[in-house]
This record gives sequence, C-alpha cells and structure tokens, in this order.
Amino acid sequence: MSCNCQKNVDSLIPQVAVIDSIRKETADVATFRIITPAGGKSFDFLPGQCAMISIPPIGEAIFSITSSPTEQRFLEFSIKKCGSVTECLHSMEIGSEVGIRGPYGNHFPVNDVLRGRDLLFIAGGIGLAPLRSVINYIMDNRRDYGTVDIIYGARSPEDLVHQEDIMNFWPKQINTKVHLTVDRAVDGWSGHVGFVPSYIKELGLANNKVALVCGPPIMIKLGLQALEQVGFKREQIYTTLELKMKCGVGKCGRCNIGDKYVCKDGPVFRCDELQQLPDEY
Amino acid sequence: MKQVYKRDLERLWQTISEHFELYLPLEQDGKVNFMPWKQGENVNIDRLKTDLSPKNIIFPPTETYLKFRTVNKRLCFESVGGKNDKYVVFGMRPCDAASYSILDKVFLQEPIDRFYEERRTNGIIISLACSEPEETCFCSSFGIAADNPVLGTDIAAWDIGESILWQPKSEKGKKLTGILDNILQDTSEHEIIALERLQQSIREKLAQLPWVDLDLEIISNNMKEMFESKVWEELSKSCLGCGVCTFVCPTCHCFDIQDFGAERNGERFRCWDSCMYSDFTRMAHGNPRKTQTERFRQRFMHKLVYFLNNNGVYACVGCGRCVEKCPVNMNIVKVIKKLGGD
Amino acid sequence: MDKTTVRMQQIALQTLANGEVDVILGWKKGDEWYDSYPVVINDINETAELIWDAFCVNNLSKYLITELKKNLRIGVFLKGCDSLAFNQLVIDNRIDSERVVIFGLPCPGMIDPQKVKHAGLNKGLLKVERTGDKIVFITKEGVKEYIGRSFDYDKCLNCRCPNPVVSKYMLSDAVTRTDEEQYFPDVTEIEKMPLEARYDYWTKQFSKCIKCYACRNICPLCSCETCVFDNIAAGVSSKADADCEQQFFHIIRAYHVAGRCVDCGECSRVCPVGIPLEKLNRKIIKDINQLYGDYTADTDIAKSPPLGTYKVDDFDPFDGSKQGGKK
Repeated sequence: MSCNCQKNVDSLIPQVAVIDSIRKETADVATFRIITPAGGKSFDFLPGQCAMISIPPIGEAIFSITSSPTEQRFLEFSIKKCGSVTECLHSMEIGSEVGIRGPYGNHFPVNDVLRGRDLLFIAGGIGLAPLRSVINYIMDNRRDYGTVDIIYGARSPEDLVHQEDIMNFWPKQINTKVHLTVDRAVDGWSGHVGFVPSYIKELGLANNKVALVCGPPIMIKLGLQALEQVGFKREQIYTTLELKMKCGVGKCGRCNIGDKYVCKDGPVFRCDELQQLPDEY
Repeated sequence: MKQVYKRDLERLWQTISEHFELYLPLEQDGKVNFMPWKQGENVNIDRLKTDLSPKNIIFPPTETYLKFRTVNKRLCFESVGGKNDKYVVFGMRPCDAASYSILDKVFLQEPIDRFYEERRTNGIIISLACSEPEETCFCSSFGIAADNPVLGTDIAAWDIGESILWQPKSEKGKKLTGILDNILQDTSEHEIIALERLQQSIREKLAQLPWVDLDLEIISNNMKEMFESKVWEELSKSCLGCGVCTFVCPTCHCFDIQDFGAERNGERFRCWDSCMYSDFTRMAHGNPRKTQTERFRQRFMHKLVYFLNNNGVYACVGCGRCVEKCPVNMNIVKVIKKLGGD
Repeated sequence: MDKTTVRMQQIALQTLANGEVDVILGWKKGDEWYDSYPVVINDINETAELIWDAFCVNNLSKYLITELKKNLRIGVFLKGCDSLAFNQLVIDNRIDSERVVIFGLPCPGMIDPQKVKHAGLNKGLLKVERTGDKIVFITKEGVKEYIGRSFDYDKCLNCRCPNPVVSKYMLSDAVTRTDEEQYFPDVTEIEKMPLEARYDYWTKQFSKCIKCYACRNICPLCSCETCVFDNIAAGVSSKADADCEQQFFHIIRAYHVAGRCVDCGECSRVCPVGIPLEKLNRKIIKDINQLYGDYTADTDIAKSPPLGTYKVDDFDPFDGSKQGGKK
C-alpha cells in the first residue's frame, strides 16, 4: 500500500526501503546498505547529497549518502550511534524495512569545478562518509580528474571507517595516495600519529589542489586554518556541514545559517561563501 | 461591485455554508478567532483582529500527514495530509490575507508542499478592509493597504455601515459571487461614494497611528553586520523564551516533525514549532543557538533579513499581535527602531 | 514626575553608586502608553530611565535566578505579589536572599491595556497615570479621569497582597484595601458543577492551548533548569496539538507548582487564548488550605511548606478507610 504511485505525492512522504546488509565499521559506526523492496537503489543522486531515513515510530534523521552515484545496486549510509533514530537503526536486522526520502541538498561540483583538477580530501572520523561518495565516484571516472590525496584521521586505529577502501582499494588506484593518522600512538599502529590539521602542514602538499573537507566542527575549523597556512585560498576549499533538520526541503526553518538552508542550499559550501555567512554553525 | 445588507448576512453565511465549510471570526470567552461557523454562533466581525492569526486554516497547528503500519514485517506508508473540503473565510483582515501570500513563498516553492497547496487551492478568502485600524497596527510599513484588500484576497469587502460592499478579485471569488447571486445586491452611486469616504477615513486614521513612520529602509542590508550587532544582547535580555510571538504571528511557519504511536501502527505529524525554543536546533552533539540571545536574533533576522534576501519580501505584515501578546513587551517594532540606530 | 518614580531612580542610583548592588532589575518606559518593560541595568546613567507606573506588571523576581548567576548582588523592585514569589524562591532554595536587596513597591493594581482598548479609550492615548484608584487618561485631545478599578487586570481585582511582605527599602506608603474580596468565588463556582460538566469545562479550556509555554515561562516559580516538556530524552516533548498532550502539560504544571504557587495570576494574564489557569492553581491552594490549615508560607519563610513536610496526622486521601472505595 505504498502511496508512491499517487500523483502529486508530497516530498515529506518516504518510500519503503530494505536494509540489505550491515557492515560494522567501528564500535559505534556501521554502514547500512539499503535497497528498494524490488531491489536496486531508491533514487539517483550526486556525491554530497543526503537522504532522510525514517524508522517509525521513532522518527526521521538525515544522513549523507556514502556510496558512489555510480553504484546502481544500492545506497549506503555510514551511521554513528548518537541519538534515538541511530540507536534504533543499529539494533535492526538485515531484511528490516525503513522509510527513505531524498536526495536532498546540493553536491560537490564533480562535473565542473573538480574536473581535471588535483584533489585533496581531508576527513576526520565519520566525516569520511560523504567524501567516500565523491572519492569512489572519481575512481569510477578516474581519467576525468588529476591526482588524489586523501588525509584521513581518527581517534584511534579502531575508529577508522571504511578500512577496505582506505587500506586496500584506494592506495592501489592510479595517482592516489592515502595518508592516515590517529590522534594518539597505540601498539600495533605504525602509521602517522597526530591531529589532522597538523598533518596537513607536515605533508607539504602542493597548494594548487581543490580541497574537500569533512569532519567534526573543530577539525573543519582548524583544518581550514592549516590549509590557509600552506597557501590554499578559501575559493579552493569545499566543506560539508550538518545542522538539525526536520523537513529536508528548506521549509521547516531550523537548519539555516544566515539566509542559507543547509538542507537545500548546502550541505556543501565553498569556504569563501561560508565566510560571507554569519558564524552560527 | 456588489453589496450584502447586514440584515442578510446570516442568510449569506447560511448559503455559503451549504456549499462550503465557512470560517468566521467567532467570539468565545472574550476571545475572537476564526472557527468553522454554524448557526447560532456568536460572530464578531467588528473586532479588528482575531487573537490568533488565521494561519491555522492553511497551516494547522498539528497535521498528521503519514500513517504507517507493519504487516508481516512489511512496512506500509499512507499519505493522509491535506484537506479536500472547499471552504470560505469571511472577514479576514488585509494583513492576514497578505500573510497567506507570504506563506505561499515558503510552501509553494519547489518542492511544493502538496498538503499546503491543497488547502490553499480549496479556500476562498473574503478580506474585509479595516474601518478602524488600531494603534498597534503597522501594516502600511509593509506596503499593505488596510483600505484596499488585494494580496491573498479572492473577494475584497468593505463595511460601509448598512451593508458590506463586495468586489470579486479572482476567478474563485467570481464563482462564489455567482452562487450568492440572490443575496448580493447591486450597488449604486450612493455606495460608491460611501466607499470612497470610508477609504479616505481609513487612510486618515492610518496616518494618525503611532508607528506610521516606521521605516524598514533604515535597516542595513548587510547580513553579517546585522548579525553581529550589539543590539541583540540588550533586546533579548528580558525575553523569556516562550513561543507566543511565533504562534500568534501570521507569517511564522517553522514546524517540527514527530512520530506518534507503536511499532506496528502509528502516524507522523508536523506541528508548529518555535525558533524561540531551546530544543529547536539542539542536536545530539551540540546546539548552534545556545542562548536566548541567539534564538531571539534568529527570529528577527529571519523576518527582516533572511526572508527578504530569499523571497523579496519581509516576513511580517504589521498585524501587531506580537506587540499585544508578548508577556514582557518586546516586539518587532522595538527591534526595527533599535536596528535603525535609535 | 511620579513621586515613587523619583524615589525609585534615587535609590537605584544610590545603591549602584555605593556598591550595595551590582545590577538593578527594574522597568523602563517604551514609546507607548502601555509599554513598561523589564530591564537589567548596571550603568548609573540609566537609572534616570527607570519608571514606576500602572503597567509595571512584570514580576522581576522571575529574572533573579539567571541574573544571580552572573552578578553578585542585585537590587530588585518588587510589588506585593512579586515579593511572595521572591519568598517562595528563597524557600525553594533557588536564590540566595542575602545577595538581593529588595525595593518594595506597594501596588494599587495594574492596568490591563486590553480593557482600556475594549473601552475605546486607546485612540490617541499618550499616557495613563494612576494614583490609588484615580486613573487619568492623557490623550491628544485632552484629559479624562476615572475613579475605580474597572481597568485593573482581573488578577489584581483578586489581590490578597498589595504590599510587599519583604523589603529593605519601602518606596511609598502601604496601600490599604478595604474592599476585601471573597477569596475563592471562582473556584467555588467550578466546584459546584457536576463532575461531567467540570470535565467538559476543562477539556474545552485546555483544547484551546497552542503550546506557546508563555504560562510556564512567565511563572516565577517554574524555575527548573530544563523543563520536562523541553527534555527530548524524557519522551514528553511532543508539541502535538492533541487534547491529551495539552491536558497533560497543564495538569503536570499545576501539580508541579502546587504548594508553591503564590497566585500572582501571571499565567492567565499572558495566555494568548484565555485559559483561566489561575482557577486551577487556586483550587489547589484552596484544597491545601482546607486539608493542611491556612498556608501562607510565602508571607513567612520560617513556616514549613505543607507539601514539603510530613506529619503523621496529615490528611491522607489515599487511605481507603477514610475514602470508601474497594477494600
């Protein structure tokens, strides 16, 4: 009795979707693969866009899509346990049904600005989720883009998500380097130790790249400062933001930063544009 | 131009209600609000403005729009929002009618809100000019003519004493006028003169109001500068963080979405919410608007800057309800004056 | 200028200047006749803007909890009803009375701008002056005088405490009221209704609620740091416009201020839809008085609050032997 066949269906009405698989990433992060009841992905989208997942009667929450738009079989979401909807999601089994609506918001400019450019991805913790969508999209269209550097940090090795991609898949791609770091030294970790912002400076990468940054607010803030210190201009940096959202379509009135709605005008912002907005995020 | 004699009003309402749901300003326990009319109700069309704005007719305080149930582990969604009944609102003031055109800019913008659209399409608004504008009115600052209902209006009406003049402004308005053909009367030169006199008198009264000179142009259009202004802290000091200003406001439209029910059977509704509330932007990992100063600023920045930037109009119609209802006498007029370097 | 206003400005200036207080909670006048609004000032130059008139209805003790977090010593102007709330906040251990200097304002009653408006007196009105029960309306056209209390807020007509019960400085002579009202006529009226009619009455009243929380936020004794109705984790934050939710909110609130409500009537004053909330609170006050003896602890902080203490001979409505019911 899904109502999706009705004409003029409102954008607030979700479609039914099935949890096809659950991959545990860390102690509190898992990646959910979601398909329509008939199989296949619920909708097309571009990297950076989000979707609203609902679990009646708990409610809805918005998540960035972590799979690549080139993936036709499913949508993936890497979700951290941090509220009632996410707690419930984590307790669900494969085959359970949820609601999904979207895609929402703008996207990273993969079809224009990023084309042919050298790219620098900077992610912290679960912040890799939206960037992974872009990275895998680029890997599937590798010749359209220049070099790819990925700086990814987490509190500890156990907190690094998408280990298959960061350890095995991405490092094997042409002109692609992955720079991992963890906040504190631990036994068995032979990689870099230190926070992402200082790692940016240590790496001494060329500053003619386009940088895409996502992570916890403090990492974004200090990461931007570090990028500027090594000579990046704000026009070269994109980030993606997260605020409380309910409708996802720019009407419910709570996710605005100044006159921009993160759900509609974002979540991707170029940093010089962000600078024009009030400091309230 | 048609007219309806006041002695025929009851008959007019009766006839309308045979075809439509009819909303009228009804008086109950001293408060006047737009409510569905039936014979015998205490109608008060003389009270200038209703205590609550009539936005609830197109944007209900709570609207269940989705039902869900789980059958054999299969989830089913059913869209149940909107409203199919055709209705008429009689006696809405020009400011309130104009507020509908402001709400349209939010809900009829892509992606169109189908529930709202349905309510808007099904309604016919008869807007009554304000014979006696009050001292808390400042609609003229927002370009609204209290003597000549236009925005959001299907039929414009004027109370000239013995009768109410009636002028259809839209196709919907013309259709309704046709249905009421045997109650509405033709007008003569006499009524036209009376109308001109009334409009003249309304304009004179408006010119005498205390806030007639309230000038929106004095507000800087520099968003960041306004945001960082020192006035917010000072003005918000007495704000108690209740939501009365947002709920009586005809243009405030923020809403929340919540689920209600059990795992197998329940519903999802949206309901009015207020940017004045502490939980409005609170997330599991923090809140970008931690204090009342930030929440207070958001409300007025939204009305005077953000909404203007996005839609070309202010999100205020100068109805003055917030002025009358704020428990601590803080309101948009004071904010505007203060922002103008008062 | 009004004598009390002069005195008010003097005492504010004096106590700020000599360091007796760090900030003053008072009222200033806006541009309109009805607009007296609460302010927090710490600048002696602003003391000349403080005023006292018949529109200083806001209870400034409401701001004490927040302001005492930011300031060491506060001077506050309190009317009779405001002083009751102050005492109750002291009893509740919500504020430290040692850090507050009270300027007492005997109050003849506050004027309801809506009553002025409904009487058609607001047209061209510039100023309203009140001395006792003499009210002077100064308009563009001239001056009109009224004697009596027909413009008073309903809550002021039921006033049981026009004079502050606690103060360091009293700013004017005590107000004497000889027209003592019968205290609970409104409650008695509802008590007389049959059970079903009473239920219908309140259901209808609560159904008007728009969940704006003005009643809660204006209440001097609704002083929880986070109200249960704002706490998402409590599972009762539903903003649904449903009768059950509204009843739940108002009844819980009435019970949470039970035994602490000082009947200042602010909840009813600010309700935009006219729910007679004070009747709910007054019913509880009346019952407490009946069951536990006249309680006026808010006038005397040394007495223990009846719902905050237990005595073995306390009335026990849950004791089946006294109440009937199934045994």
